[in-house]
Amino acid sequence: MASNQTAGKVMTNGNGGENMASVRSGNLVLGGVGGQGIITASNTISYVCIEAGLNVKKSEVHGMSQRGGAVVSHLRFGAEVHSVIVEPGQAEWILGFEWEEGLRYLEYLKPGGVAFVSTERRIPPSAQVDRRGGKINYPLDSEVPVGVVPVDTYRIVGKAASERTASAQTVLLGALSVEMGLPVELWHKAIEATVPPKTIKANLLSFENGRSWYEERKGGATARQGASSHSEDYPNRSTNGNKAASSGIKKLGSSSEAVMSISSWMGGTPRVEITRAWCKGCNICVSVCPERVLSIDSQEIAVVSEPDRCTGCGLCARLCPDLAIDILLDEAANDEPVQSLAKKLGDNR
Amino acid sequence: MNAEVKVKAPTRAPMVGAEKRLLRHAMMPHMLCPGCGHGIVLDAMLAVLSARYDNLDNVAFVAGIGCSSRIVGYIDACTLHTTHGRPLSFATGLKLARPDLNVIVVTGDGDGVSIGGNHLIHAARRNIDITCVLLNNEIYGMTGGQAAPTTVPGAYTSTTPQGNTQHPFDVSELVKAAGATFVARASSYRPQVVGDIFGQALDHVGFSFLEVMTDCTEYFGRTNRFGDGADMLMSQSRYDPSIDADLASRATVEELTNPQPVRPVLPKGILHRSSRLTLEETLSVSGGRCSSANEIEVLDGDTRRGF
Repeated sequence: MASNQTAGKVMTNGNGGENMASVRSGNLVLGGVGGQGIITASNTISYVCIEAGLNVKKSEVHGMSQRGGAVVSHLRFGAEVHSVIVEPGQAEWILGFEWEEGLRYLEYLKPGGVAFVSTERRIPPSAQVDRRGGKINYPLDSEVPVGVVPVDTYRIVGKAASERTASAQTVLLGALSVEMGLPVELWHKAIEATVPPKTIKANLLSFENGRSWYEERKGGATARQGASSHSEDYPNRSTNGNKAASSGIKKLGSSSEAVMSISSWMGGTPRVEITRAWCKGCNICVSVCPERVLSIDSQEIAVVSEPDRCTGCGLCARLCPDLAIDILLDEAANDEPVQSLAKKLGDNR
Repeated sequence: MNAEVKVKAPTRAPMVGAEKRLLRHAMMPHMLCPGCGHGIVLDAMLAVLSARYDNLDNVAFVAGIGCSSRIVGYIDACTLHTTHGRPLSFATGLKLARPDLNVIVVTGDGDGVSIGGNHLIHAARRNIDITCVLLNNEIYGMTGGQAAPTTVPGAYTSTTPQGNTQHPFDVSELVKAAGATFVARASSYRPQVVGDIFGQALDHVGFSFLEVMTDCTEYFGRTNRFGDGADMLMSQSRYDPSIDADLASRATVEELTNPQPVRPVLPKGILHRSSRLTLEETLSVSGGRCSSANEIEVLDGDTRRGF
């Protein structure tokens, strides 16, 4: 799974792997999901540019970001910068901190520019159209467009994606630093100055990992030019970036696949049962159910109108003042025993 | 998934069918109004008890008069239904006579604070090892919707048709000031928190007091146009500072052009916990639990010594 092997042809075009000593001006767009450190990363880059004696302007949009909303930051630097906004098609580099969010800003990329996009996916709750079956409305089958370098940040850091780490996205800065070519010492200084003090060490390590990963990848690109593509985790793309040659394009996953269904987690299918004789039709269960499973019938008694949508969260059963609601588990004979559910739910009690 | 075996789901307790097991089925359905918050507290208490006990033969529920006190009638334990306002007096006698019993008093704001207010503060003062759950729905429900000492200013009741003008009790502060060694407050909007604190109250040695804010839909809710049970339950979340501090601070009775009673934002959680000699220990009644090696220990910065 060495990523430098798969790098094959990726870097042979793009910005052509030019070995400029130092870039003196440029435009950057950083995009991702709130909480990933996009603003911090743009601060770090600004710090580097300022230390290098350049003029920097940056602007970001981060409304509702802490609820998983989109965050984008524009950053321009040079001898003299007048406007903060990067025009579409003018960004030399794009840093995508989340896969779909990174691809969203590709229109800003200059022909020949490089977009470092993390392969991390953060599926928003609103995309989970079917929580019971696990179906999601989130394109997992994105192709890798021209100019995009997929960066498996967590693997490069050496952590599982489930381990949220405060330093994984610094890998992107490490890769970017290779392209920008400003002195590494400035980057170290900038990271120390901008990231939270407790995470400085981890971030410096991630930065070096990202930097060496991308240097290897660039070196491998020239060394292995023409080598046959390995069926690795990252897709190749044709050297001319032509869509016609897309037969070799690999997909990162299939669309709307079931990520994790409720029954696989619970070991059975949850089902609401209402003791009709006890129900007084107070409407509490109907209004608290997040999946709108329940309704009130003509006799003013709660009924299960959409049984297939029940995820077994148990909110209705807990908040029923009449003790009339039970959540049962329809369990397959060979599935794991019901005690496992009890254990799982017991942890949450 | 063909051979389906129908198994009772343990969503509310780790044990299968736990809550129903501890109910007096002949009494069900209970007499509480639709949407009444007392039923949610009953359910939360049963979930805790069913996780701890196979049967409730060594648990005694004592209650006075009122909707809240009525819920003990549905629990299959030793239950004692007493006169209005005096459940704590009966419970004191019961606990001294039978220290082996785990005595739990369920009372309401009218029962426990108004008519039984003296008994409440003296039970707290004596620090007898019982658990008191006070369901505060801010009104006399069963007797016809009269204003209680916990009714918020501005509230319309059958005895305050122009709106209540009197300042209410902060019951938890009252009991804390009276010397209780465990004081907590929860709301029926969060039954899991109610259960969690109820379990800690059971474990505590000494007078442990849990105030649960509930909703009276028929008298308090309807008279004050608070909507039905679901609306009132949601309004608890609205005025829960831990959920929405900003919304909670927005409206007060004075600020509203069309004054509607606004329930105050009250601190929730375990408000006070300390340890000192219980009544059983001071009277040398054997068989009870002991509070921390019979020493007067001061926790939570509480500098008061024993009474």
